[in-house]
Amino acid sequence: MTSKIGVDVSRIDALDKVTGKALFPADLMSSDMLHMKILFAGRPHARVRSIDVGKAESCPGVIAILTASDVPVNEYGLINCDQPVLVGPGSNKKGADTARFVGDQIALVVAETEEAAIKARDDILVDWVDLPVITDPYEAMKPDAPMLFESRDSNIIKHNKIRAGDVEGAWKNCEVIVESIYHTPWQEHAYLQPEAGISYIDSDGRITVEVAGQWVHEEQKQIAHALGLTVDQVRVIHPAIGGAFGGREDVSVQIVLALASWHLHERGISRPVKIVWSREESILGHHKRHPYNIHAKWGAASDGSILAAEVKMVADAGAYEYTSAKVLGNATLQSTGPYDIPNVSVDAYAVYTNNVPSGAFRGFGGPQGAFAAESQVNKLADKLGIDVVEMRRRNLISDGSIGQFKSVYPEGVTIRQVVEECADRSNWPITQVDNSLPSNIRKGYGFACALKNVGFSFGFPEECWAKVELHGGSEIERVVLHHAGAECGQGAHTVFVQMTAEACGVPIECIQLEAADSALTKNSGSASASRLTFMAGNSIRGAVDLALENWQSEERPAIGEYKFVPRQTTALDTETGECDPNITYGYVAQRVIVEVDIETGHIRVVDVMSVDDVGRAINPIQVAGQIEGAVVQAHGYTLLENLVSRDGYIETAQFSNYLIPTSLDVPERVEAVILEYSDPQGPWGLRGVAEMPFLPYAPALIAAVHDATGIWFDEFPLIPERVLRGIDHSVYGE
Amino acid sequence: MKTFDYEAPVTIDQTITLMSKTRGKTLLLAGGTDLLVQLRYSNQDVDLVIDVKGIPELNQINYDEFSGLVIGAAAPCSQIYESAPVLENFPAIIDAATIIGGKAIQNRASFGGNLCNASPSGDAIGAMMSLGAICNVVGSEGVRNIPIEDFCIAPGKNALEKGEMLISIQIPSPRPNSGSHYLRFTPRAEMDIAVAGVGASIELDSDLNKILSARIALVAVAPTPVLATEVSESLVGQKTSGSLLEKAANIAKETISPITDVRGSASQRKHLIGVLTRRCLDIAVKRAVQVS
Ligand SMILES: Cc1cc2nc3c(=O)[nH]c(=O)nc-3n(C[C@H](O)[C@H](O)[C@H](O)COP(=O)(O)OP(=O)(O)OC[C@H]3O[C@@H](n4cnc5c(N)ncnc54)[C@H](O)[C@@H]3O)c2cc1C
Repeated sequence: MTSKIGVDVSRIDALDKVTGKALFPADLMSSDMLHMKILFAGRPHARVRSIDVGKAESCPGVIAILTASDVPVNEYGLINCDQPVLVGPGSNKKGADTARFVGDQIALVVAETEEAAIKARDDILVDWVDLPVITDPYEAMKPDAPMLFESRDSNIIKHNKIRAGDVEGAWKNCEVIVESIYHTPWQEHAYLQPEAGISYIDSDGRITVEVAGQWVHEEQKQIAHALGLTVDQVRVIHPAIGGAFGGREDVSVQIVLALASWHLHERGISRPVKIVWSREESILGHHKRHPYNIHAKWGAASDGSILAAEVKMVADAGAYEYTSAKVLGNATLQSTGPYDIPNVSVDAYAVYTNNVPSGAFRGFGGPQGAFAAESQVNKLADKLGIDVVEMRRRNLISDGSIGQFKSVYPEGVTIRQVVEECADRSNWPITQVDNSLPSNIRKGYGFACALKNVGFSFGFPEECWAKVELHGGSEIERVVLHHAGAECGQGAHTVFVQMTAEACGVPIECIQLEAADSALTKNSGSASASRLTFMAGNSIRGAVDLALENWQSEERPAIGEYKFVPRQTTALDTETGECDPNITYGYVAQRVIVEVDIETGHIRVVDVMSVDDVGRAINPIQVAGQIEGAVVQAHGYTLLENLVSRDGYIETAQFSNYLIPTSLDVPERVEAVILEYSDPQGPWGLRGVAEMPFLPYAPALIAAVHDATGIWFDEFPLIPERVLRGIDHSVYGE
Repeated sequence: MKTFDYEAPVTIDQTITLMSKTRGKTLLLAGGTDLLVQLRYSNQDVDLVIDVKGIPELNQINYDEFSGLVIGAAAPCSQIYESAPVLENFPAIIDAATIIGGKAIQNRASFGGNLCNASPSGDAIGAMMSLGAICNVVGSEGVRNIPIEDFCIAPGKNALEKGEMLISIQIPSPRPNSGSHYLRFTPRAEMDIAVAGVGASIELDSDLNKILSARIALVAVAPTPVLATEVSESLVGQKTSGSLLEKAANIAKETISPITDVRGSASQRKHLIGVLTRRCLDIAVKRAVQVS
């Protein structure tokens, strides 16, 4: 039997996607469907005194207009139900009459055509009372700041603390101290497919929403909560998903679609409802990567050992909590990097403001923390005159290390291996000088590394369900896998099938996948936190083992149903931060080569090497795709993507002014090096990969720019104007 | 987008008649890469859209030494950059045709549309202005020839009267020992709009070291693309040298007072005009030397 894992199996969804057969939510049609449009607040902070829908209701083609008073339980949220489904008076939720960012939803218009819905939406009259707008998280933290929520006495959502060793006492032993203030930007997910979906009542009488998401069972739960129904009355199906990257971790159109269908159903109208957001609605309507301000003070002894790290950071959570508290945990962890530092003090805050909410995005707080940590290490090395790889050798964790959380790192720490491999392959330290360059071009080399947790962190409940049916007589002829894990475009379903075939010992063609429907599956958790291959693999292995046992006892079809629960993590101690934060990690190191045009500030990335320990690559070409994709997305984050928000209004809600990289902008070469050091907890030894190559990119690139120009940039994106300002203050008369 | 009527005439006369007959607002459509975006986002009320791509005169690209290059107003960039005489004689035109948008945009976007749209950042306008183009216009009153520097009068506003249309753009044959270049700066390598741009054409004497004539156009630093006559004057009669180009670059910087917007600040634009002018002149001079 040849192995089904470790091979470049073609994506099982490839043919349907390239031929156009695969249907994405916006493609879903029904001859009698109705169209929905949403009236957004368009104001960053204002109370709705009243809504007059009289004129709108009389528009031709209008079927229904729904406002706050039509929502049974007018609240939702992934972790904290702090956001009204619809903002306005008359609902049962206190404070639901207040819009806290421009993308709050005010009213739903259901009509015969999209044009009719737009016309009626524009005829809705809202009587607003503007409230003070807070967009600076430092202002929002002040005790006398206006509160975003009347019920709260602080805008601080969460404060994480780490106190390990004695930071104050350690400074005097430091040969060098580096103190910097870093600022990281918002980032828009910019998935190909804007939010869209269709809803209807299925043949079993369930409200059914077909939509792109990351976690069918969570979406089902949130819909049921807001509609005051049981989860069994709600069904969520994911058709083809056009990218997610964390941007679909929080719901967007799910609840409002269900609400519209439920309302029509009660009126005896049984027609499906469809919504498609425009790109602008998508950019205004869903969350972004958190901007962070990070004040870092680190000190090292003359031999390079880092003695102390003190970090204070503030995340702009925007108007609602979303996953901010969890993202903050990860940023807290990342802010001191994969280093053994005896004295650590971290204070991390996530704060409400009237900006667009921040939430999950590939790396989940990791890129922000890692940018500060890696830049600090690179700067310390620079000051001490120690090579950056050597500096890391003297400080990196290894198996048995006890970190700032006073718990042993999960077995299988390979940060040293990835760093050595990356240094080796790129002939680090690079000393050769390129004499062929024009006088305005400066070349530079940068290095950084990171770790990334696999699975939910800090005590968040983890589980993953799978069911396997083995059909056949004497031989297994057909295997049906039931699994809820979302195929967001990352290739999850292909590796599910590979792992099932491997576990059953049958060809891949024998596997049939039933996925992405809450009615046919149980909870598998979300497609996030680099967890899906790891968790799904463990659940599939468990289910196949049970099914094979039943197969041996002649059960036909032999069924195995299994819920994998990994080892329990724990939450941060509120005073010291002590905890067992994560199940396990993946490890990565990168080397980036840049050329900087010092006259225009334009940066070209010539070459990237990314060395990633993924434990076991189930499908190596997909792993390479994840590495290249993460590098490209991080490239946009570091160099181009400049979300401009002024007084709570987003000024770059189009792709003509929010610039993501094109094929001509991405690094000219990305070398993805896959290492396979088994993780003891991973199925077939695998770890996750999706996020980790994102983390070291910004600090490695910025170190390369420093190497080229002698200037440290503590804030990005490195748009040409910022680079130019850094290199040549005289341009700006400074 | 409001509903509107659509016509696709095949002659200039039909088009002029349609324009004069229609009482409501009429807009001409070439590649549509500006127009469709504007119709979708600006709630413009338009009653009739006239597609001019089916008119043969508007799609031709002709060249002879005597009358120069004639680019039909609706000819797309891809047709322009594949044209042998353009490739041979008008490098600045090739530069502009190959940087507008990206490949897909270039298959639709016309130089006529770029010009009529009268954007301050029109790349084709900058290139054509540096080459001394003349705009051939027809209306119910007859024919007009408008020098390109007089064609754009404000952002989004051109010199066409109601009922007039652009037929073609005429560019004189290159003089002996001449070279041209168009260069712009964008943060993104494609699908982006110039923060600043410079078009230059340079004519050298027979010894190839003195500048006989020069035309320099500056883009995205004024309400319309502009001719920088002071820069040209500083070059004419001078021997080419690094310091001459540097001086010209400084003059270019001084002649403009750009604005700050979402694409760049005034000081960045001023700085870039200096860098781009020097680089653009340098290449135009090199090309002049090469062709001779
Ligand atoms: C993604 C994208 C990228 C772009 N990148 C660039 C770029 O890099 N550089 C740049 O300069 N521009 C760029 N543009 C703008 C646009 O593509 C160019 O201006 C293009 O040259 C317009 O030509 P068109 O044929 O599409 O014009 P259309 O959109 O058809 O017309 C433009 C205007 O001219 C009028 N018009 C057209 N033909 C005539 C005529 N014969 N007589 C009178 N009026 C007429 C129309 O009514 C309209 O007002 C970009 C646009 C997009 C969508």
